[in-house]
Amino acid sequence: MVKLLEVKDLYVSFFTHAGEVHAVRGVDFELKKGETLAIVGESGSGKSVTTKAVMGLIPKPSGLIKKGEILFEGKDLAKMKESELQNVRGKEIAMIFQDPMTSLNPTMTIGKQIMEGMIKHQKVSKDAALKKTIELLDLVGIPQPELRVKQYPHQFSGGMRQRVVIAMSLACNPKLLIADEPTTALDVTIQAQILELMKDIQKKTGVAIIFITHDLGVVANVADRVAVMYAGKIIETGTVDDVFYNPQHPYTWGLLASMPDMDSKGDELFSIAGTPPDLIAPPKGDAFAARNPFALKADFELQPPMFKVSNTHYASTWLLHPDAPEITPPDAVLKRRNLRTKAGENRGK
Amino acid sequence: MGRYVLQRLFYMVFTLFLITTLTFFLMKLLPGSPLQNQEKLTAEQREVILEKYGLNDPVPVQYVRYMKNLVQGDLGISFKYDNREVSTIIGERIGPSAQLGFQALMIGTLIGILLGSIAALRHNTWVDYGSTVISVLGISVPSFVLAALLQYYVGVELRWLPVAMWKGFEYTILPTLALSVFVIAQVSRFMRTEMIEVLHSDYILLARAKGISGSGIILKHALRNALIPVITILGPMAVNLMTGTLVIERIFAVPGLGEQFVLSIMVNDYTIIMGITIFYSALFILIVFIVDILYGIIDPRIRLAGGKS
Amino acid sequence: MDKAQNEKQLKINPELFQPAEYDPSKVEVITRPSLTFWKDASRRLLQNRGATFGLILLTIILCFALFAPIFSSYKYSDQNLRHAKLPPKMPYIEKLGVMDGKDKDGFDWYATKKVDKYYYFGTDDLGRDQWTRIWTGARISLLIGLIAASVDLLIGVMYGGISGYYGGRLDTIMQRLVEVLMGVPYLIVVILFILLFEEPGVLTISLAMVVTGWVSMSRVVRGQILKLKNQEYVLASRTLGSPDGRLIFKHLLPNVMGPIIVMTMFTIPSAIFAEAFLSFIGLGIKPPLASLGSLVSDGYKSIRTYPHLMMYPALVISSLILSFNLVADGLRDALDPKMRK
Repeated sequence: MVKLLEVKDLYVSFFTHAGEVHAVRGVDFELKKGETLAIVGESGSGKSVTTKAVMGLIPKPSGLIKKGEILFEGKDLAKMKESELQNVRGKEIAMIFQDPMTSLNPTMTIGKQIMEGMIKHQKVSKDAALKKTIELLDLVGIPQPELRVKQYPHQFSGGMRQRVVIAMSLACNPKLLIADEPTTALDVTIQAQILELMKDIQKKTGVAIIFITHDLGVVANVADRVAVMYAGKIIETGTVDDVFYNPQHPYTWGLLASMPDMDSKGDELFSIAGTPPDLIAPPKGDAFAARNPFALKADFELQPPMFKVSNTHYASTWLLHPDAPEITPPDAVLKRRNLRTKAGENRGK
Repeated sequence: MGRYVLQRLFYMVFTLFLITTLTFFLMKLLPGSPLQNQEKLTAEQREVILEKYGLNDPVPVQYVRYMKNLVQGDLGISFKYDNREVSTIIGERIGPSAQLGFQALMIGTLIGILLGSIAALRHNTWVDYGSTVISVLGISVPSFVLAALLQYYVGVELRWLPVAMWKGFEYTILPTLALSVFVIAQVSRFMRTEMIEVLHSDYILLARAKGISGSGIILKHALRNALIPVITILGPMAVNLMTGTLVIERIFAVPGLGEQFVLSIMVNDYTIIMGITIFYSALFILIVFIVDILYGIIDPRIRLAGGKS
Repeated sequence: MDKAQNEKQLKINPELFQPAEYDPSKVEVITRPSLTFWKDASRRLLQNRGATFGLILLTIILCFALFAPIFSSYKYSDQNLRHAKLPPKMPYIEKLGVMDGKDKDGFDWYATKKVDKYYYFGTDDLGRDQWTRIWTGARISLLIGLIAASVDLLIGVMYGGISGYYGGRLDTIMQRLVEVLMGVPYLIVVILFILLFEEPGVLTISLAMVVTGWVSMSRVVRGQILKLKNQEYVLASRTLGSPDGRLIFKHLLPNVMGPIIVMTMFTIPSAIFAEAFLSFIGLGIKPPLASLGSLVSDGYKSIRTYPHLMMYPALVISSLILSFNLVADGLRDALDPKMRK
């Protein structure tokens, strides 16, 4: 498969009154055509900033890409001028935001908002754009699209608005779709519908998707591969199976253990103690060390590299070093490993 | 929408009725009389005048008569200018005031919007600070101080423009400027705040994510959304211009309604004071109404919801 | 990721692979000191350059208004016709070529009239010391502003509070009255009420401004109360059986304090402006007493011959209103909870 997007050693900082916030600290990842990558992490872990950097939407002058390359089909987006970026945004890469209640212009009909990008990028006539818009609204499951195009956002429900935003993102047949927590602001039942819709669209159009979320349930549902971010770094990456059933980083353990499931009925829910570090002065070792019950002295002193677990699976913790002592992961993680073995056995049969 | 308009119209008439009644009885309470300023009158002459104006009747009778006449657009007769109808005087005087008010509102709003938008687009740069300083000064320096300074420096010292009077367009420039500074300041302050908020909104980010260019975003998305709330300050703005004309017209000797009002206050010409008060109130109520309707037409969220949300 | 990298790491001191101490209690330590709402607000107010400038300017004007008349060798009403219409003359500053006792044509009136005194801001047509009159006038203007603002506050908070808290039909009726009062342009009402009095004084002028002035305060308070009274913490307190008084004074009012303070800070300069406006149309403070507005108005009459009679009071009143506006703006931003990070 061909590489669509390759992010190399990306550093993004924000300059505030309190000082320089190192929001993204050396992120590497890649994405193949038609693939879905989920970036998981808590608020402030740098997942949104990473994708905003890809879109060239880091607010200036407070934010700055300090270092790194963002290669999209071989062209470095980080070095592009604003005018060049405008021809990539919406056309090659499209974006969906978290809150559909605020991400549509309240004083413009949704038809105009969808057509705007098409007219700008594809130089089509108004009639053609309108026809395509109605098709798109139909595709994302909005009934009576001919009537709906002339309506304003406030006449749509939250779920419907998110469908409109999705239709808008598909307007120019982009190669990459970045979805920044697209279901977080929606009701659970609507969430499922939107996820189904996105999977369906990917099947039909073959678009690659970067899915940002803090909801691991969503990840399992939609993604091919997962990258877990913490304090501006990717600390573990692998296929969904790798990360869910054979997690290596204690932070990933914590994340998975804090996810409620049917079996844990009656048990107390696990939670990770403490708060993420202040990124104005990031810790010199593993940023998670202070909250990590399994931390080694090395975690406080030295930045762990990415250790290879398998061809698809990497994690950044000193526990993977050959000299590190054997430790027993928490029960929840062991249970997951067993599940995988069982699943493998089942598949084997 | 239709029902809403009707309901509003009813309240407008009711409000105006209450204001007229209050003003009428307030006038009856005033000390002094318009007759005391005129040349010495004999008791007989005095009696004739009082009879002529119906001032010997009981107050309730006078009130009912006044209201009856008011419905027909008759505001009574001036005490000072013998036998001249108040409505005629207002008619003669409204022209210059309306022209001044309109010019000041147009220029003030346009410059204010421009200044406010530029400040927001260049948020936290010297352009922003400069525009903020201008608008804070514009709000703080009283309009009559500004008018006096303009008159003295531009009119008297530099002789660039006429010092006073009302004989053509160049005579309107200084009073318009003096009136518009407050409008500029208010509108630009408001516009700046609204624009900053809009520019930080998600839908502007999404528009950028669609690849729309900077100017396209400002013209098609930001400006319209920031402008809608600015309409709401047009009502207070109009009142401000109205009262502003009282002193500005006096300073520049403009034969307008404001100047007449101040003149009438000085000679206790009750019927004119009342007439102009009612006129101002009616105008104000009408402007607020028009602004609300306009808001409903421009903002789709209100238009289709049918009434205020 | 590759072998080279993995090999490099092998050189790490094996001691580092000892488990580190894990102390969950340390993890929860809050790193930044917590600030109370008011501490936080005042910190933010002082960070605002405009507000700080406004505060300094306001303090200076207040000091002069309080002390200048006390330490002056003249009274605001002292007349000395022999010293009438003198230009400003101030010690030390006179050497800079300004305020040196010369009029705009460079003519030294102090020498001509053989005056060996200093009139810092000159004298008016009755030979009264403008310096003393301006700072006395500033006192009067401030007094009018303070009275108007405090009565506005009292009526506005009660009216708005009752209307918003009890709501329903009472609110509807109370709001109809407000709409009627708002139907008349503010300054016109003030003028009509001033006309009721033959000799308007400080108190009558201030109270005339209150006639409809309290309406804006009541609207601010009502709006806030309406918003707050359905918030969870108020509902919780109500569920626990708190009486109305406790709800109002413990839960609602403290949270409305911010907007009330800001509104009051905007009312003071607008009352000062309104008084000046009245003076300009001949309805303000009557001589020998003076306000900043009446001084500007008197000065305007002789602006062509003695510009200093208007310029100095105009400068003081503009600075006074400016300083209040700057502080009020700063307070609004500082007290806005949305700005709290």
